[in-house]
Formats: sequence, structure tokens, C-alpha cells
Amino acid sequence: AAGEAQCLSYTGCNFLRQRLVLATLSGRPLKIRKIRSKEEDPGLRDFEASFIRLIDKVTNGSRIEINQTGTTLYYQPGLLYGGSLEHDCSPSRGIGYYLESLLCLAPFMKHPLKIVLRGVTNDQVDPSVDVLKATALPLLKKFGIDGESLEIKISRRGMPPKGGGEILFACPVRKVLQPVQFTDPGKIKRIRGTAYSVRVSPQMANRMVESARGILNKFLPDIYIYTDHMKGVSSGKSPGFGMCLTAETINGTILSAELASNPQGQGAAVLPEELGQNCAKLLLEEIYRGGCVDSTNQSLALLLMTLGQRDVSKVLLGPLSPYTIEFLRHLRSFFQIMFKIETKTAEEEHMGGEKVLMTCVGIGFCNLSKTIR
Amino acid sequence: MEEKEKKKHRAKHSGPKAEKKRKRYLNDLGIGEEENARKRNPKAFTVQSAVRMARTFHRTQDLKTKKHHIPVVDRTPLEPPPVVVVVVGPPKVGKSTVIKCLIKNFTRQKLVEIRGPVTIVSGKKRRLTIIECGCDINTMIDLAKVADLVLMLIDASFGFEMETFEFLNICQVHGFPKIMGVLTHLDTFKNNKQLKKTKKKLKHRFWTEVYPGAKLFYLSGMVHGEYQKQEIHNLGRFISVMKFRPLTWQTSHPYVLADRMEELTNPEDVRINPKCDRKISLYGYLRGAHLKNKSQIHMPGVGDFTVSDVSFLPDPCALPEQQKKRSLNEKEKLVYAPLSGVGGIVYDKDAVYIDLGGSHAHEKEEEEVRPNHELVQSLISTHSAIDVKMASSKVSLFMDSAPLASEDVGQEFVMPKEERQVDLKTGRVRRKAVFEDDEKENDDVASDEEDDQEEDDEEAAVSEDGSDGDDESDAEEENDRVPLREGVAVRRAKRLKTEVAQEEAVNELPAFADSDDDLEMSSEEEGETAPEDSEMEEEEEDEEEEEGDIKRTCEDESSDSEFEAANKRAESKQYDINSERTETKSQISEHSPKRKAVLTTDSGNCTAEEASESEDENSSLEEGDEEGGSHEELEAEESNRNGFQERQAKKADSVRQTKLKSVDIEDDDVENLLREEEEYEEKIDLSADTTGALKWKEDLTQKAAEAFLRQQRSTPNLRKLVYGTAVEDEDQESEDADDELGGLFRVSRPDKASKQKANALDCSKFLVEKPQDWDLEEVMSSIRDCFVTGKWEDDKDAAKLLEEDEELYGDFEDLETGVVHKGKAAAGEEQSGSEEEEEEDEKMSKPEPEEEEKKKERMDKKRKLKEMFDAEYDEGDATYFDDLKEEMHKQAQLNRAEFEDQDDETRVQYEGFRPGMYVRIEIENVPCEFVLNFDPHYPIILGGLGNSEGNVGYVQLRLKKHRWYKKILKTRDPLILSLGWRRFQTIPMFYMEDHNGRHRLLKYTPQHMHCGAAFWGPITPQGTGFLAVQSVSGTTPDFRIAATGVVLDLDKSITIVKKLKLTGFPFKIFKNTCFIKGMFNSQLEVAKFEGAAIRSVSGIRGQIKKALRTPVGAFRATFEDKLLMSDIVFVRTWYPVSIPTFYNPVTSLLKPAGEKDTWSGMKTTGQLRYERGIKLKQNKDSLYKPIVREKRHFNKLHIPKALQKALPFKNKPKNLEKKGKTPKDQWRPAVIREPHEKKISALLSALSTVNNYKIRKAKIKHREQLKEYLKVKQKEDEQKFKRQKEAKKKVYRILGQREKKRQKSSLKGSSKGEKSM
Repeated sequence: AAGEAQCLSYTGCNFLRQRLVLATLSGRPLKIRKIRSKEEDPGLRDFEASFIRLIDKVTNGSRIEINQTGTTLYYQPGLLYGGSLEHDCSPSRGIGYYLESLLCLAPFMKHPLKIVLRGVTNDQVDPSVDVLKATALPLLKKFGIDGESLEIKISRRGMPPKGGGEILFACPVRKVLQPVQFTDPGKIKRIRGTAYSVRVSPQMANRMVESARGILNKFLPDIYIYTDHMKGVSSGKSPGFGMCLTAETINGTILSAELASNPQGQGAAVLPEELGQNCAKLLLEEIYRGGCVDSTNQSLALLLMTLGQRDVSKVLLGPLSPYTIEFLRHLRSFFQIMFKIETKTAEEEHMGGEKVLMTCVGIGFCNLSKTIR
Repeated sequence: MEEKEKKKHRAKHSGPKAEKKRKRYLNDLGIGEEENARKRNPKAFTVQSAVRMARTFHRTQDLKTKKHHIPVVDRTPLEPPPVVVVVVGPPKVGKSTVIKCLIKNFTRQKLVEIRGPVTIVSGKKRRLTIIECGCDINTMIDLAKVADLVLMLIDASFGFEMETFEFLNICQVHGFPKIMGVLTHLDTFKNNKQLKKTKKKLKHRFWTEVYPGAKLFYLSGMVHGEYQKQEIHNLGRFISVMKFRPLTWQTSHPYVLADRMEELTNPEDVRINPKCDRKISLYGYLRGAHLKNKSQIHMPGVGDFTVSDVSFLPDPCALPEQQKKRSLNEKEKLVYAPLSGVGGIVYDKDAVYIDLGGSHAHEKEEEEVRPNHELVQSLISTHSAIDVKMASSKVSLFMDSAPLASEDVGQEFVMPKEERQVDLKTGRVRRKAVFEDDEKENDDVASDEEDDQEEDDEEAAVSEDGSDGDDESDAEEENDRVPLREGVAVRRAKRLKTEVAQEEAVNELPAFADSDDDLEMSSEEEGETAPEDSEMEEEEEDEEEEEGDIKRTCEDESSDSEFEAANKRAESKQYDINSERTETKSQISEHSPKRKAVLTTDSGNCTAEEASESEDENSSLEEGDEEGGSHEELEAEESNRNGFQERQAKKADSVRQTKLKSVDIEDDDVENLLREEEEYEEKIDLSADTTGALKWKEDLTQKAAEAFLRQQRSTPNLRKLVYGTAVEDEDQESEDADDELGGLFRVSRPDKASKQKANALDCSKFLVEKPQDWDLEEVMSSIRDCFVTGKWEDDKDAAKLLEEDEELYGDFEDLETGVVHKGKAAAGEEQSGSEEEEEEDEKMSKPEPEEEEKKKERMDKKRKLKEMFDAEYDEGDATYFDDLKEEMHKQAQLNRAEFEDQDDETRVQYEGFRPGMYVRIEIENVPCEFVLNFDPHYPIILGGLGNSEGNVGYVQLRLKKHRWYKKILKTRDPLILSLGWRRFQTIPMFYMEDHNGRHRLLKYTPQHMHCGAAFWGPITPQGTGFLAVQSVSGTTPDFRIAATGVVLDLDKSITIVKKLKLTGFPFKIFKNTCFIKGMFNSQLEVAKFEGAAIRSVSGIRGQIKKALRTPVGAFRATFEDKLLMSDIVFVRTWYPVSIPTFYNPVTSLLKPAGEKDTWSGMKTTGQLRYERGIKLKQNKDSLYKPIVREKRHFNKLHIPKALQKALPFKNKPKNLEKKGKTPKDQWRPAVIREPHEKKISALLSALSTVNNYKIRKAKIKHREQLKEYLKVKQKEDEQKFKRQKEAKKKVYRILGQREKKRQKSSLKGSSKGEKSM
């Protein structure tokens, strides 16, 4: 009978986000067992609980069951609802942790999503909001998710450990996505970036910029790195600084790299010069990997390709990250979709490392939540 | 005379010559040439009316845009599935006759009884699946959803019947397929005029239903029980040239109209519980969209299922191969209808059945079919027995083992599916284990059975004939082998056991080894790991020859020639292993490289993944060591896991280890092997190969080769890295199942933890493990060209492009100045040409590439020129619409081209099964009634469901009662909906949306209006149409479709409210304040409603203020006016209604044969009451009765004194009263004048009369004067106008002259110009 889609079962807390996201999109129930069952502190952590709460907020009718110890999670997805929401993210992970999943879900809501997330905007673990703003949004636009209302606004910056940042994420809804043929990354025409500092000397930002430029100028003259010093209430609760860099090609591909200072009271203090240099090198590393999609957003691109119409989509990626590889496996188990994976070696020598051409036929996904009048 | 005889010249009056002459003549006259008319009379060509012009422009634009449809990507497959032709009509109208005649027309075969769909080849590019649709509304609904073309039969002697209209309405809802009307029974008309009239009448009615101009066919009379040949021929022609439009639902969902059904249930299970759920396989052409394995499907009339397996089969009714000739020959006019017992050849997954009975032998059909069935049946039984009771029953084992042991039997035993299933479940392994115990008996039995089987040789021969060339060759081989077999039997017995173990090892093969990898390993033909499909058989033979008897025996066991390629490959590996076991050293040296490859695929997979985990492929040395260790560990783990079969596992390990370590141990051999390996690897250049990471471990000595290899490996490894091994996959998907098996079937898989920590940090960042030193020049240069400042590709480099452009446009002559520009490229080209020549001289070896390059260059140039031309002339007026269309077209081409070069096995993994394929779909847990009550007359449809379309939720619809349905629908009455693929009963609630977005419940649907409806049921995409019927059973003379509409919204919660009025009564009234009781029951309730608007029945508005302490539930309220004690006060509230979660699929196909149209679900209360004779007890208050109203007495209006004072005098009530009360005696008396007064009044009247006269006179005089004045004025005006006109005339004349002069001069100039031209 209807309503009994097969339940998928997994173990371990790793990849919790993609599992929940894919379960929500595919409408299949999900069971995750043995979440940190062997650790001293078993069960779900606060940031995961916060994430589950967020999923509950953006959906309607989903059922979440967690056992006493929090080691087992059962999730029966509802329909994506959206609307104007607010969410306090756990400061143990960055807002990027939550935002990445929201980026996957937002285009398929019933009402356009407009959510205020509070927490840590930039940290060392998760992709920062700046990077997602610079890379993920242009990527969404490629799939036809476009419009004025698509935006990420950083109203307050919050650094770990205390956070205190606040962002606004708004995304329009779409019924279907366009297929993409995104195989030529093009050449990098400019490098932009932001060097931010909160609750430290504003000179830090300038020092970072100087050192980063020193490295990048060997490749390209068109470099501009904004300095963003936030003051007062918009500077969050903890001091810190960092930098994110983006390289934009003539075809609109955007590659990014970022680095943040150690959180207050953890690790040794980092010199801004050193951070700037390292960040620039990371960007070069990212450029070496190459591809049409930034390594953080590989999974997002693949998901949107999967959820396209029944047409062939292609995208050229750099080497697949472990997260993406697992994501591909999950895509297969949730959507029965397999990607054609071809390795491409650049014909010429000076074009960076090996690339991977991913091809798939969309599953003909359509937004079941959207109302028609 | 002669002159007279001469024919006079007759000037041509028409034709080009005459035309030319006329033109010249007119030209000479100075008139002529239409375009000159414009010049001669420009005014006639000016815009007469701007408005009209705008209108005409609008109209043309409207007409243009009307023709546009939203362009969609054309996703029709290259080889489309047969067109579904549904023949529909009321009973006794001649449906079956039409079908038979059509089949006969196309195939020259005569079918007597038609059951289920019949597929025929109707032309070079078209096949038809013809199916008859009965009058059961279930059938009509199902078939309307899959129909491409509907032949609507109408009995002309009777006229339209309800079924026709019902079917038309069903079609309208579910996407309108092509509909063609066919009028039959036209021979009953004796009167020709009557006939004509009827035809016309019917035609016009048909047109209003379908579309004006829809084709209506006339089948006049019957000849020998058939329609006239010519008419049927014409009908066939129409059908086979018809074009179809894509329907949204059909193109977005995969579906199969099943034309064959087999039951696969284990007979033992059926014996134990005859009502157990069944496992069936259904066959049919896949249509619509791509179908993915393991996806959800719905079978209308049965329920929802998950596809347990899909496979594609060779097309049983294929289109002719070459299409050059004009028409089909008899051989190509195929007909395929397995349900009717006509098929010619019936393909199973890897078997081919030939039905020799054919269509002409239907008298003997029973006899013909039964043995076939029996064969199948027996096969099934033996087969499934294998699965389930391998160990439990020895007898069944015998049955099993016999076919396995003897080749002949294997040849015949063509249930491929079973085979595969066994494979999947690793049932094979177990079977063999049992063999070992019974080996002796087994042999005996085998030989016995062989004898038996010889009797059946005829049948075998039949199947062999049918099978393709490969099979035949195999069969021959096997025949050769027969004598050998016995000799080897003893040895085989020994080996059986080992094989079990080895299969364990084989299980670990990567998923792609059995399906996919052949692609990657195309060049590995020599390697046994993965020979290409086409060469499979040959290679097998080779190997066999090499490895002699042993292998043959092995093959005997797995005997079937129909084995899947994958199986074979797997087995070939086994044989290898086996042969190694025999330990003939020479063989080892010969085959070891290949074998090693095998090995590495076996175990290498996990290592490969590990390698990726650590992501440090560079450090080959260390890793190699590590992996040597880890590999052993893995093996240890494996053996642990295999608890149950520890013994075998160990053996497997030992086998493997011997292989692995044979290299390490035997030093001499090692070097040889390595050398050989190197050679071998060189052979497999470019190709991607399966060899895992273990290979390079062994290659430690040769680092150079290693790097090279790694590059080759990367692609398949990446894929394997991502999608893992089959075993692992299975494991992942059914972990619970694994647990259930209690470790029996735990297959050793690479430890997950080693690959990705299950509880690791969930982070999407791709950290750089080992950053490069970006200060180094060579590192920097590795990405130098990623920047715009770097070197560009030739086709994008601006400088290069410029150069090319110059080549293109190098030579040109400026016509104005006459300067000739010479491109320098020409010289360059010459130069290069000469250089080329030199080069050619130098390297005579490669003249052709040069030539080609040049050619390519030329082509490029041409292409570029053409593009420029196109851009200039075509795309000038490209609209948005054109661009969109172009885009769609490009996408369609890409879709087609992307996977075209891959073989189907690979393709289905990426795309899913594409429409047009003949597929076999396995489904489990089918209710037994479906099989027991199977009736081929009813269509079986497998409709694919999209993501989460299998879920349930609340569905909101826009609904309208059908205008022909006699009743209105009541909320909360069960209704049967047909939505998407499904037919189901549910309880809808009707509602209206208020202006403020509130959904207000309705008790009944409106008569002629749309309303909303909400129900709990399957989630179906928005925009899908649906129809509702109240019952699908029985027949009524009335129209059965109750309502139609469309899905608007899907949600998991819905708020529909109904109005609830709470009433209360004042018990104390102050001025505008009131105490009201009886509305609420507690203070809390009142508190909730504080501030709510209330109203009295008489219309006085107010507000709830605050609760009172006593009585309970009373409150204080204020009103805009004073209430009366008799007033009733009410508050209007909205109460949410819950929607019953009732969803009941119509399971009409489960009903016994003959009763399939009697499904009845939940009944309405009305029906129940009627059936049971229960009278509804009416509420007395609800009954209508005459309203008797008491005459109301109103008190006198009392105005307070203060107010009275303030009123104006005339409105004072005192005055009003007085005026009304004036008695007669107080009336005023008449006035009588005095004589003096009379005089005065007379004088006054006289004076006024005089005055009046004077005034009148003056007025007349004034009018006269005015007239006079106007006359004069007019005269003056006229004169003035005349003057002006004359002046104007003068001016115009001058202007005209000037104009003429100008024109003349310009004409002269132009004519001059022409002449000069």
C-alpha cells in the first residue's frame, strides 16, 4: 500500500546531514543506529540536535524519534515547508554546517525560505558563510534558482567559541531545475576576497591582505581583497580574524579558500601575515585541483544535477572529496542514480591536476511542496 | 495562297515573355510597374487609420503566437515502444472483430481468441500494441492512462452510448490521447438518405466532444464475419502514419503494459500456505520515462510494490533490421501476444521458447501450450526448491543436481532468473556444499538423468535452434564434452568443495566486474578477468582448451550455456583458481600474470579504498608494505566473519595466499612473473583496468611502471571507489537482513571503519593533506595556465584568433578606393606549405596526418564562414522562442548522444531502463488472489512512481461536479478517485476558499461551480488531473463520472474549518453594557474569547469584555446600542474539521474471474440506510413548518424633555401633535374683502397686466433684431471663407507645382542612375 517506502538504515553519526537532506528530498524514511555508541559521551551532540531541530522547522509533518541515549535516530520526512524562520545554531559548529544543508533544501520549499541563523559565522572546521555566499549562490543560479530574493546577508560576524553572529538566508522556490553543462571552467580572471577581523585590531586585516597579495600577485594582477572590520554589536562575542579568497574565471566558475585564526584560548596565536600567506596557498591548491565547482560545493552541484529534469547534466570537478564520494553513494541508495565518472587529464601541462567529469541523467524531480493556484 | 496558308504570328498573352513585353510597353508609356504606383500615388499608400493598422498588426502577432507551444525537450527514444492502440466501445459493437481484422491486415495471421495485448509490426518504423477495452469502468480508466491512440467504436444504428462519453471524459482528465472514431453497423441502414443523415449527425456530435475535424471512420458492411478488406486496410494506413503528441503524465512516468505474467513463488511455500504472498515476473515494453531498478511502482487494481528486479530482454517483436526496402516481407510481419498464446518466440531472461503451435494451430493450442507450460512449471519448481530447501530435502536436491550435473539438462533448463537469483543470494554456494556430501548418489543420478534427458532431446533441439549462435556453439562444445565428463566425475567431486570456498572469494569481486568493467578493460582481452562480451565465448573456449578436463568438469557443474556473461566471467575466474590448485607449474608460469590480476581484483578493492582513504598514493613503498600487512589482516577478518563456513573460508584463504605468496616464496618464478607482468601491462595501455591496488604493491621493484599504471587505473578505480563492490552494496542496503542471517552469509567486506569513520566529523571541506610548496617555480608553473595571464588554447587565444581571421578575410579589395589588401597569412601559408613539404620530405612516414590537418583547417574555415553568414542572415530576427527551442533541441541531442556508445548493460546503470526496451520486472509480495484469479482480458499495468509519490499525505484538489452527473456530492461520503496511476476510495471534504484564504467546509458540492476538496491519500504531483466515480461496480444507465478536477496542493496537514455559532442570552442590561450567559462554560473559555466580536440577531454589534464570576461562563459585553432582554447574542467561530485518514485502493484485479467489475468498497451512510431500511430520525427542529409570527406591539416613542427643547420648533413633538389634532371648529374662516380693498386689488391686477404686455412686446422685438444681425453676420462669414479658400488654393497650387518639379527632377535623377547602372 502507499506510504511504506523502504526505510534506509545506516550506522554512525558521520554524514548525518546528507542523509537527512536526501531522506527529506526523496521522501524515504531513515534510520541511523550506533551514533557514537562506543564513545564515552554517546549519542547525538548538541550541534546535531540543533540541526535536527532545524530540519524539523523547515519541514511539515516529519517525524523524528530518538532513543533514550541518543544513539539511534529514526526520521520520517515530511514535506518541505519553508517560510520566515529563525534558528539559533549551536556554537560548536559554524553556521556553514547548517547553511550547507539548507542550500540543498531551500529551492524545494512550499513557501520561499527566509531564515535568520545565529551562531558562529566563521570557524576553522566548516565552510564559512562568506565562502558559501561567494560560491554556492552563483552555483544555484546556474541551475535556474535565481532572483532578487536569493541572498545571504551577514549582519553580524561571530567567531568561535562564543559565536554571536547572525546571517539572513533567503531563497526562492522552483518547481524544476535546469540541466547544466558545465565542463569548461575557463581561465581565472580575477581574485577577490575578504579579510575580516572582529574584536581585534583593524590593522590585522590589512596585514593579511598584504601577505596574501604578495603570493597571488605572481599569477594575476587583478586582485582585490576587501577588509571587513566589524565593530560593536555586529562583532559577535569572541575575537578573531581570518580571510577567505575567491578566484573567478571568465566562465563564472568560482574557486575559494579560507582560513581563520585559532579560537580564543585554543592553540597558539596565529600571525596575520602567516594566515594570509597560507590562505593564498590554499587558494592555489584549490586552483590546482580545479574543476568548475569549488571543492566544498561538489555535493551541492551533484545533488542539483540529480534533481534536474530527465536530461543529461555534466559537470567537471576537481578530485572528489571524501564527503562527495560518500554523497554519491548516498545518492545511489536514495535516488537509484549513478554518475558516469570519467577522469580527465589536462592536455597541457600547466593546468593543474586531474579532473573528474561527472555525468548523470536527472531523475525528473519536481517540487511536490509548491502550491499551484 | 501560300501566304494565306501561313500561320499568323500570335502574340503571347501570358507567360514570362508576354509579361516582360507588357512591362516594357508600360514602361515606355511611363506608367506601369506596380512599385511605381507607390510613387505615382503616395497618398493611396499612406496609413489610412492608425488604429486599424495597430489592430491588424496585433492580430497577426496573436495568430503567430497562438501557434507556439512551450518547447519541451524531445525525450522520445530512438527506437520507440509499440504504440498502444486501445479499441473501446460499448458491448456488441464489433471491437474484437476490428482487432482481428487489423491483425490480419498487418500480419496475414488470423487470431481466433484474443486475450490481452497483441503486439504487431505494422511498418518499417512502427509497431502496434492493440488491446481491447471492455466496458468495466476500471478497465476504461486504466487503459485511458496508457493509450496512445484510441479507436472509439460507435454503433451507428444505435448512436452514442454512455460508455463512449465516459471514456472520452476519462481521456480528457488523464491527458488526451489521439482519438479516432469508427462507425460500425452501417449496413443496417436500408435508406441511403437516412444513412447520410445519421453519419452527419454522429460526426458533428463527435467533433464537439473531441475537436472539430476529428477523424471518423466508417466501416460499412461485413463480409463473412469480417469488415471489408479495403476499409480495414485504410484504417490500418491511418493508424500507421498517425503522429502523437507527448502527454505529460505518460512522459514523466515509466510504465509497462504487461503482456506476460509468470509466477515464481516457491512451490513449497504455496504448498504450506496456499494463500501466501506470491512472487511474479511481468513482461512488457517499457514506455514513458526511464525505469530504475528498485523503484516503486503501482499496479492499478492491485497495489503498490517495490520492483525487486528488472532486466531487459531481446525484443520479441523487433522492428525489421534494415530499412532500405519499401515494404516488409512476410518474415518481418511479426505478431506477439503471449497471453493469447501467440508469440512465435518467447524470450526469457536467458532462454528462448519457441511456440511451434503458432496461430494456425489454435485447435491444438491446449496440447501445444501445455507441455511448454509444464516444462516451465517443472523448471520453476525445481528451481525454487533449490533456493529454499537445499539442505532440508534430499529429493529436491536430486532434482536440482541432475540438471546441474548433466550438460544436456542444463541446456534445457532455461530458467535464467532463478539462476541469477541463486547467484545473488549465494544460494549456489550452499547447493554445492550439499553436493559434496551426496557426491556418489549425485553421479549416479546424473548419469541416470542423462539417459532420461536424451528422450527429451527433441525439445532441447528446439530450444537450441532458437537460441543464438553463441548458444549453439556452446551446445556443440558441450556435446563434445559429454564423453569426457564421466571420466572426470571422480575428480570433480573432490573439487566441489574447494569451489565453494572459491566462490566466496569471488563474491568479493567488485560490482563492476560482472556488468560494467568490460568497458574499461576492453584492451584486456587476453586477461581473463574481464573479456569483452562479444569475445566471451571464444575466450572461454580457449581457456578451456588450455586447461583441459578439469575445467570442463567445472563447467559441467554450472553447465548452463545460457549463463549470463557475468556468471561466466566469475566462473572463469574460478576455473583459474582451480587450475592453479592442480598445481601444474607450467600452467602457473603461463597464467600467473592474469591470475594475479584476478587476485588483485578480488582483494584489491578494499585496499584501493584504503589507499584512497589515506590518500597518499605517492608513498608507494610504505603503502605497499602496509598493505601487505593489511591484506593479511583482512583475510583474517574474513575468515572470522565466515564463522559458519570457516573451513571453506580458510581454504579460500589458503588458495589465495598460495597465489599471492607464490610470488614471494618462489623467487625464480617471481622474477619471471614480474617480467611477464610488465609486458602484459604494456599491452593494456590506455585501457583502464580493474587491477586493484595490490598490483602495484607487487610492483615495488619497478617504480616507473607503477606511476604509469596508476594513471591508467584511475578511472575505474575512482568509480569503484565511489560505488564500491556488489557485496558491500548489498550489505549496506540490507544490514538488518544481514543480522537476521546470523552471520551465515556475512560476506567479508572491507571494514567500513577503515574506509570512512562511521562516527567521524561530518565536514564537507576537502582538506589539503599534503600542501605543495607554492614557492617553488615548477609547482607554480603547474597552474600557470589556469589564469588569463597564462597560455590559451589555440581556439581561444585572441592572438591566434586574430590571425585566423586575417587568413579568412585576408584578401579583399576596397571597392570604393580600389585598393587591394593582401593578407600576410597567405604568404605565411605558402611558407608553411613549403615547410610542410620539407617536412614531408623529412618524414615520409606521416604524410597523411598533415593532409588531414590541412583538410581540417579548411573545414574549420568553411564552418566559420558559414557561421558568420548564418549570424548575419538567420539570427537577425531570432526571438526568445527560437532561442528556447534551439536550447531544447541541443539538450535533446546531448541526451541522445551521451550514452549512445555504451552497451545496454552499462547504460541501464546510468540511465535506468529506457523506454522501448522489452523488460522483465520481478515483484514480490503480490497478493495470491492476483495470481489465482488472473484474467488476461484485464490489462495489467505497471506504473512507475516518482520520488515520494508512494507516500501519503493530504491532497487538495480543485473539483467540479460533472455536469452530466445527476446528484451532487456530499462531504464525508466515500468516493472513488482515479488519480495518477491509482484508483482508490477515499473520503473527501469539500470546501470553499473565502476571500481571506480561509477554507470553509461545504456540506455538498456546488451545482455548477468549482469547489475545493481535500482528502488523505497518495501524494501526486500538482497539476495532475483526476476523476471521481461513486461506484465501480454494477451498471447504471446514468453517467458514472461524478466529478473531475486537478490537484492543487500537497501537505502533511490541512486546516478546513466549519462555522460554529455560539449563542447566549442577556440576563442583565445596562445602557449599552450587557451581562450575557449561556455562551461559554467556564471563565477560561471566556478569557480565550476576550475581545471577540459578537452580534445580536437584530444586528446590534458588540464585543466580549470580561468574564463574570457568576454564573459560570457569563461575561460582560458592550454593544453599540441597548439590547433587549429578548435578544439572542451570538459569536461566530471557526472550528477545524479533521479529515478522515481513509485510503483504500480499488483492488479490482484481485476479484475472482468474472466478478472483477463488482468491487465495492466502503458504502455511504445513505446506501447503508437504504439497504437496511433504516429511517433517519429527523430532528424536530429541523423540520419545516409554517412560520407563525405574533403581531408585535410597539410602545409609544417617548422623547425626553431636554431633547424636545433642543429640537427645532417644527419638529417638536408638541407641535406635530397639535397639527395633527386641529379640530374642525378651529379651522380658519374664509376672507371677505371690503370694497376699498377690492378696488386696490383690481388696480394692481390691471397694472400688472399692462406690465406683462410691455415685457412680451420688448422680447419679440429683441428676437427680431437678433435674427437680422445673424443674417448679416452669416453673409460676412461666407465672403471671408471664400477669400480664404481662394488664397489657399493659390498657395497649394504653388506648392504642388514645386513638388512636381522636385519629383520630376528626382525621377530624372533616378532614371539616370538606373541607366548608368
